[in-house]
Amino acid sequence: MSYIQVDQLQKTFTVRKKREKGRMLREKETVFALRDLSFDIEKGELVGYIGPNGAGKSTTVKILSGILTPDSGNVSVDGRIPWEERREHVRNIGVVFGQRMQLWWDVPILDSYGLLKEIYRIPESDYRQRLKELTAALQLEDLLRTPLRQLSLGQRMRAELCGSLLHRPGLLFLDEPTIGLDAVSKLSLRDFLRWENREYGTTILLTTHDMEDIAALCSRVMVLGHGQKLYDGDLPALLQKYDTSRTVTVRFENPETSPLLPDGAVMTREGDEVKVTYAPQQIPTPEMLETLQRAGTIREMTIQPQNIDVLIAKMYREMDL
Amino acid sequence: MRSYLSAFRLRRKMELQYRGAMLGGIICQVMFGLILIALYRALYAGKPQALPLDHVVTYVWLQQAFFRMLLASDPDLLDKIRTGGIAYDLCRPLNLYGFYYARIMAQKITGSLMRAVPMLLFASLLPKGWGLSLPASVPALLLSLLALGLGLLCVSALENITMAFTMRTLDPRGVQAMLNLLMMTLSGNILPLTLFPDSWQKVITLLPYAQLLDAPIRLYTGDVPVGEAWRILLIQAVWIVVLTALGVWLWNRHQKRIVLQGG
Repeated sequence: MSYIQVDQLQKTFTVRKKREKGRMLREKETVFALRDLSFDIEKGELVGYIGPNGAGKSTTVKILSGILTPDSGNVSVDGRIPWEERREHVRNIGVVFGQRMQLWWDVPILDSYGLLKEIYRIPESDYRQRLKELTAALQLEDLLRTPLRQLSLGQRMRAELCGSLLHRPGLLFLDEPTIGLDAVSKLSLRDFLRWENREYGTTILLTTHDMEDIAALCSRVMVLGHGQKLYDGDLPALLQKYDTSRTVTVRFENPETSPLLPDGAVMTREGDEVKVTYAPQQIPTPEMLETLQRAGTIREMTIQPQNIDVLIAKMYREMDL
Repeated sequence: MRSYLSAFRLRRKMELQYRGAMLGGIICQVMFGLILIALYRALYAGKPQALPLDHVVTYVWLQQAFFRMLLASDPDLLDKIRTGGIAYDLCRPLNLYGFYYARIMAQKITGSLMRAVPMLLFASLLPKGWGLSLPASVPALLLSLLALGLGLLCVSALENITMAFTMRTLDPRGVQAMLNLLMMTLSGNILPLTLFPDSWQKVITLLPYAQLLDAPIRLYTGDVPVGEAWRILLIQAVWIVVLTALGVWLWNRHQKRIVLQGG
């Protein structure tokens, strides 16, 4: 039996809309947040969970963490039904909601950690060791005595993450954990998550809009749209499907050089740079490079694959999301 | 149990940070106290009442000093429910009713003690007829402290019921405005319950709001003699059981159908 089993999960919300002019009653609309969602996750997996806004990602996380009760369907996490055995279930999970706060606003973060220690009944020695390990990995040592309200957004995210991991959860849900982080913090956070996963075999479900996060961390990715699962597999395979164009930027010794390109390639000139866009399925990259080299002496050249966000946007469009 | 205690301590620590608000609160409550007392002095000068003036003055001071116990909703908790921040509390291995009960109690105890101690010191220095009188006797003082403790349990349970309603209505202001009006009138904060007509008092003193401050104050002033204290304590105990049971029931019910706001 898999560690997490989700079977035909369904959840609807009722949204009341503002009354239209001339109507007596408000409109009520039933929104399907999740529609027949099924998947399995094994222990120790690091799974990316993506989809456009409103796809149902957060709803899934909330159901898996025992906060929401679904309308129908079965879920089992480590043999337990989250919303029925909430207290036992949550003892072993950690959750980070990137846009909410769990630490107390007005008190030093160390005090908030102290409360978490009591809540999860973490033994003193274990707590100290874990806190040391986490504060070192997340660079929080100097911030422990600062009230949360005085931390920057990025510092706060790191502090929140530390709070969610103090009790060594075997399962970690991250709902957009890299929101608002600078490049350095993002990289160190990714390193940390990879380390946590390798060192303790923590199962991680990562929800994010930052495709770099997914590319850097997850071997498996699930795509959700309109409450349904649209893809489940590895990221490179997913990207390859939509990776349909490359751009080569070339600077020739002689700026007047005009290469003779095969059909299907599009050339534009920007100053003394030549940009060639082509589809690698149609014209293999080595062939394209050869063509360019034959045209004249090259001073500088870069090849760019399409931006990963553009790929995802294309994928969402194609899946009609 | 330790986690609830820990939540209590942390909330207390947070409340202690608001010393500026404390000072403002004290000044405001002292002003209210003085104005009310001037009013009752004028009333007594015109037509003396059966109840001694000293009792009324003491009643007013004690009400004002512990004002924070009555009207103080934890804005953080209400915000959590309104914005969906409660999500985090729901993924803790805790009973939410107990967790919030501890927080509410910490806020009420700390907030009111911070204000009450300096205010009562001030009030006891005022001349007779304006200031706080000593308790009727030592047993009366001890019994009134016990009743104050029970009153605190009552008011925390009441507040937790408001929280449970907020889970449904999302905006606490409607329920709060209504309950606050009831609370201010029926707890004796606006007009001492001891000055209500006797027939009214018979009913009002049975209601939960009278258990918060009115009950301990009557024991303090000797309005209710020590021998009859058991009656007050019994009513308080009954209300604690009823209000807590109702709150727990509401919480469990609403928790199951919760919807989190804000994505």
